[in-house]
Amino acid sequence: MPIVELENVRKAYDSKVAVHGLSIKIEPGTMFGLLGPNGSGKTSSIRMMIGITVPDSGTVSLFNQPFERKLLNRVGYLPEERGLYKKMKVIEQLVFLGQLHGLDAATALKRSHAWCERMEITEAIPKKTEELSKGMQQKIQFIAALLHEPDLIIMDEPFSGLDPVNATLLQDTLVDLRKEGKAILFSTHRMDQVEKLCDNIALISGGKLVLSGGMREVKSRYPRNRVQITFEGSDAFLQHPAIAEAKNYSGQAEIKLRPSADNEADAQAILAQAITMARISRFEVMEPTLEEIFIEAVGGKVDA
Amino acid sequence: MHNIWLIAKREYLERIRARAFMIMTILIPVLIAGLIFGSVLINGKRGNSSRIAVVTPDAQFGTDLQSELQSDKDRKISVEVISPAVATTRTTLNEQLKGKDLDGYLWVTDPAPGQKRPTFEWVPKSQADITTKGDIAQAVRRVLTREGLTHSGMGASDVDALLAPIDLDSSQAGKSDSAVAAFGIAYTGFFLMYLVIVQYCMNVGRSILEDKTSRIFEVLLVSVRPSELFVGKVLGVGSVGLTQVGIWFIAAAVAMQFGLLSSGTKLPVTASQAIFFVIFFLLGFILYSSIGSAFAAMTSSQQELQQMNTFLMMPIIACSAIIFRVVTDSDGPIALVFSFIPFCTPLIMFTRIAVHQPPAWQIALAIADLILTILAVLWVATRIYRVGILMYGKRPNLPEILRWLKYS
Repeated sequence: MPIVELENVRKAYDSKVAVHGLSIKIEPGTMFGLLGPNGSGKTSSIRMMIGITVPDSGTVSLFNQPFERKLLNRVGYLPEERGLYKKMKVIEQLVFLGQLHGLDAATALKRSHAWCERMEITEAIPKKTEELSKGMQQKIQFIAALLHEPDLIIMDEPFSGLDPVNATLLQDTLVDLRKEGKAILFSTHRMDQVEKLCDNIALISGGKLVLSGGMREVKSRYPRNRVQITFEGSDAFLQHPAIAEAKNYSGQAEIKLRPSADNEADAQAILAQAITMARISRFEVMEPTLEEIFIEAVGGKVDA
Repeated sequence: MHNIWLIAKREYLERIRARAFMIMTILIPVLIAGLIFGSVLINGKRGNSSRIAVVTPDAQFGTDLQSELQSDKDRKISVEVISPAVATTRTTLNEQLKGKDLDGYLWVTDPAPGQKRPTFEWVPKSQADITTKGDIAQAVRRVLTREGLTHSGMGASDVDALLAPIDLDSSQAGKSDSAVAAFGIAYTGFFLMYLVIVQYCMNVGRSILEDKTSRIFEVLLVSVRPSELFVGKVLGVGSVGLTQVGIWFIAAAVAMQFGLLSSGTKLPVTASQAIFFVIFFLLGFILYSSIGSAFAAMTSSQQELQQMNTFLMMPIIACSAIIFRVVTDSDGPIALVFSFIPFCTPLIMFTRIAVHQPPAWQIALAIADLILTILAVLWVATRIYRVGILMYGKRPNLPEILRWLKYS
């Protein structure tokens, strides 16, 4: 039973078509990465999932039912642009947002305290929101989206502006929530995080679906023609004829092989030559990274 | 409904707790008192003491005019009579005008052959000083009348009796102070409503813009409909306004109870005046704040909003321009017409009711008219609002806004 299903959804603003016949499906207990360059229609798609806008055509279903506003009580949303009442105290703010999601005040208060502890921001509870650092505000916003224990969690760029410690804390929380069977959709530009976290991805560009499927499955569609070598010594082996393109980041070579029948053999040949002139501490043959797939799929044309 | 209540409550509490609320609660009565006492003070004492000269070939006329002008108790005019004029008189007087020793001089020339009256030339220091000019014209007329009456053989005491000022006594109607009190209430109520509507409708606009720029709307719109947000905000801010007015009423009542207001000043506010104040404040506030909200949703900075609000202020300013006519002639054509212009109805109709209860059908018609306008404005405003709060950047032009109305 999919948690979210968009079917052939289209949305146009004036003359500009933001979303072109998009279909995606998110299953419970999975993390779904919605990727795409800026202005590709990610936010427009998300806004239709949560009823802020209505599609011109196509259908949106939540929890296997046609879209209805009351279903939104089971959805938690963290928008890309963070918004909180600046003058409000943190705890009042959380209780207020929880109540809007249908919680009673007492439950909202209890859960707010529990979440603040889990997010390690108990010292922020009595403060006004405007007194907090940006990272702390982000965590408050994160809590606000989760307070009503939604079954669908939608997060637009959840990790932007967080330091690595806090980003990891949020990541681990999301992984825990997935284990509890929640469906999580997040959109981001940070491909390394998507690669690490997401089970399924959809890449959209210009409002159209360019690429979608399970993470492993998408990657296996690409040949294992990337080689990474960490070395010390001469880099003359990078002139090997099987190499289409090579970048050397001071002892970290990233190599793209020429198309051939047996990339694996080409990689071994390069390694054999490298050993003769340098000390190798790491050698890996792999598929292109998600970042490369992304750039290739959108044709390197990323506006802004 | 629950969401509207939550949003209104949040808005209300945040505003009531803010320091600005306390400051405005104290400041506005002080401001209104200042305005009213100020205008009473200025109107009561027309101009301060002034000094003029009268140049006339007829010395008797000069002294008569002098005593006539100096008998006016409301203002102090010192009059210097120059009779007859010498060759240098005019230049000396002109110098004195420039040196600001003199506020003006009256130059009287004997009647030309074939004419009965002398000619009068008034040379003021400032052309704008129309009250002094009016006073002098009246005094001259009185002196001429007196002269004419004496001339035709009437005794001085008879003339005095005839020209004595008349005291119009309106106390016989059994409501001695009520006319003055009604004026006071009309003025106070007008300024109070004026300030409160302007202040709170700007507050709604500002608060919507704040929420738009802080992107809180994106979060709220998952759980709240735009219309609920809109209504909650207007109700929350409006209740703050009512609370403020309530505090003033209670404070005034308490002050009177303890005789803190000067003795004899009673504020005999009738129940119907209080009720109509609340009704018209609420309707006016809803009308203006709906437009203000749409404006706020269209803009993305406080400066832009301020420019838009100028349009909003125009009908209110028009009301204050005609308020004197409305108070003095509450059933006259100007009062009648303006009380049916929806944007002026709250202020003008309330003022008319405070001065003198107009026919019930007029009140009913004005309220119906106002409510219909509010519904029409709300229809447009909520549509602009719904789209506008999620649009950032460039201010939309008119065709774009018209398209917004059609969005679902």
